Amino acid sequence: MGYDPNVEGGARVNVVVTGLGAVTSLGNDLAGTWAGLVEGRCGIRPITLFDASKFRTQLAAEVRELPDGLPPRLRRRLSRSDVMGLAAAREALADSGLDLAREDPRRIGVVLGGGVSGLLDSENYLEACLKNGPRFVKPSMVLNHPPDQTTDRIAEMWGFLGPRSTITTACSSSATSLGYAADLIRHGLCDIVVTGGADSFARLTHGGFNALRSVDPEPCRPFDRRRKGLTIGEAAGILVFEEEGRARRRGAPIRARFLGYGVTSDAHHMTQPEPSGEACARTMRACLADARLDPADVDYVNAHGTATPQNDAAETASIKRALGARATEIPISSIKSMLGHCLCSAGAIEAVATVRTVETGIVPPTIHWEERDPDCDLDVTPNEAREVRVDAALSNSFAFGGNSTVVAFGRFV
Amino acid sequence: MTATPGPFITGVGVITALGRGLAATREALAAGRSAIAPVTEPGPRKHASPAARIGPFTTEPEMARSKARRLDLGSQYAIVAAHQCLLDAGYPLAGREERTGILLGTGSAGAGPLTEFERQMAAESPESASPFLFPNTVANAPASQTALELKLKGPNVTVIQKDPAALNAMLYARMMLADGRADALLVGAADEWNLLYHEGYERILATRSAGRCGHALGEGAGLVLVESAASVAARGARPYARLAGVGYRGSPVSPHRRRGKPEEFVEAMRGALGAEAPRVGLVHLSANGTTWMDDAEQAALRALFGDSPPRQVNVKEQIGENPFAGGVQLALAAVALREEPSLGAVLVNGFGAGGNFASVLLTAAAPA
Repeated sequence: MGYDPNVEGGARVNVVVTGLGAVTSLGNDLAGTWAGLVEGRCGIRPITLFDASKFRTQLAAEVRELPDGLPPRLRRRLSRSDVMGLAAAREALADSGLDLAREDPRRIGVVLGGGVSGLLDSENYLEACLKNGPRFVKPSMVLNHPPDQTTDRIAEMWGFLGPRSTITTACSSSATSLGYAADLIRHGLCDIVVTGGADSFARLTHGGFNALRSVDPEPCRPFDRRRKGLTIGEAAGILVFEEEGRARRRGAPIRARFLGYGVTSDAHHMTQPEPSGEACARTMRACLADARLDPADVDYVNAHGTATPQNDAAETASIKRALGARATEIPISSIKSMLGHCLCSAGAIEAVATVRTVETGIVPPTIHWEERDPDCDLDVTPNEAREVRVDAALSNSFAFGGNSTVVAFGRFV
Repeated sequence: MTATPGPFITGVGVITALGRGLAATREALAAGRSAIAPVTEPGPRKHASPAARIGPFTTEPEMARSKARRLDLGSQYAIVAAHQCLLDAGYPLAGREERTGILLGTGSAGAGPLTEFERQMAAESPESASPFLFPNTVANAPASQTALELKLKGPNVTVIQKDPAALNAMLYARMMLADGRADALLVGAADEWNLLYHEGYERILATRSAGRCGHALGEGAGLVLVESAASVAARGARPYARLAGVGYRGSPVSPHRRRGKPEEFVEAMRGALGAEAPRVGLVHLSANGTTWMDDAEQAALRALFGDSPPRQVNVKEQIGENPFAGGVQLALAAVALREEPSLGAVLVNGFGAGGNFASVLLTAAAPA
């Protein structure tokens, strides 16, 4: 593969979604996860992965039982993130109907978002080191920490030889990865890209938001007046992106279009959102421009909706600034109320849900919502899913460091 | 298909264990000095390996020390290198903040705050862990802290990809600039050395030790300003070099395995050379002391260039390995092309663990 800047331009290449896979606290596959989201089920439960008694909250949206189906010798070496990522990738590839034996592996890329990755194993290593000294601890436990592990594992398992990358921009990581993946197709470097992300639970993230006082002791309540903060979750969400023409020629089951994305930096504060909402509105406008959409075309926004007091108010302001009058006419919702904040895989799993919304016209609800907040006065689809025609939808992802990414999906007709 | 004259590198910024800035680093490189030295911290060092460490570092005069106090080292290196880079490019940032972004690679950013936060949680209690540490445990800290410090409001992305992360960032930057997502991007990588990570590498036998080959870890930052042709023309900037191509070849091996075949490396380099395939006058080697990988790179260069291979330079024996080294190599390659346009083109190779093989081609900015 090579990128030659002398051959570019010409007609724009369209990117479509031909496969989806999911592993979440609501189910170890797409069907289970989507059914849970539509029914408004909550995946947040008491933490089982470590002793959480000393933290402000003992709740998280853990994946209950890791998916199996991997050879035991390989399984032993993988982190939770790897196992979840490989399972979601397997489902997404099967869903796409691709016959990999007939594809050129050099034209298949892998771009994921990641960050926490196998940190839980490293934490167990550190804890054992502190307790018993390093001599008695297996060093292989730290090997799974780099966030690009899952990316490499997917390429290894299916023998993909095309461009690979792992994006780490905290909570927007896997949303940004979708943009990079689409660019590889638009620029002619790949025919197919396996994209999305997998990120699992760890003490660091739970303890980090604990230290920042931004966790809710109860399950999180996005956009509700009494919201106190987020609940951490874990998930894998994988999407198969393909160039439209070849997907049509092979009769692929096309689920939706990837219309475009915007990625910007708000340069405001490492952890606080820019309160006027202008910074994230700029990201939304960049996405609309890339996707060639007008605000009036947008039928639904899958909100970042972390349930921190600051995010939800600033995000509401951003949506109003970017979409104008349209903001008050359409539903938005935060599936973090059900799946928790899956951090570096949040953008991916929310993209998976957004694709399903575009496909089915079903908007998943924001659960645990009871009291209206005047600062969050948009239609947040409280507690019950709704059917609406959705031709185009946005999914917002905002992160530590002011790393904001917004992606757009469109109905395939 | 329209021919476009690719983006240009108009500025460089470099922080290495050999020197704070391009001039000091180049002087030490030319003198043949190596910063790789034994790591003397106490510990159960069964496979003790050396490293190229920066030691005491000040962010002044670029940034006040009081501001730097809360930053991880990777962020400090990145911010100083970014200041140097914009100054070197003569890039007038004021009024262009929304059109200017940053795209960094890293392998170890956030390691310091991360290990300290984990230690506080495990050894003390979750309630006593410092909230000031957590925001810098994320690997995107260097890029994001730089964006905050310089008020960059364009794209801000961090990529992770073992050794060639900076070259991977270059691939993404090229697409972003072609699509008009920004007019200029700071591209490169930043890393910090961390004892716990160092011991991890020692224990998996990736780093060199007595009687064993491997790489020596390093730290620092290497950034270049990559600017669109239109932006360069509009402000009459004098570029160092043109970003002519990026090649990538994956190999399906497990993530920490350092294995690669010469023909795979050839494919990555051919990808960078593209249809243009200019004469290459210099190669910045991927070689880092992992002998079978270094040998495969030599075999690949012979296969590609035959009996008259281009001049080769290996800076990792002087500044250490980690993604930042790729950023430093990009900066050095760009500068070499301005000083010696007769080189024609320079290849920068990064053939890393996990079957991630990348190569970047820079050419002289004006026809030699």
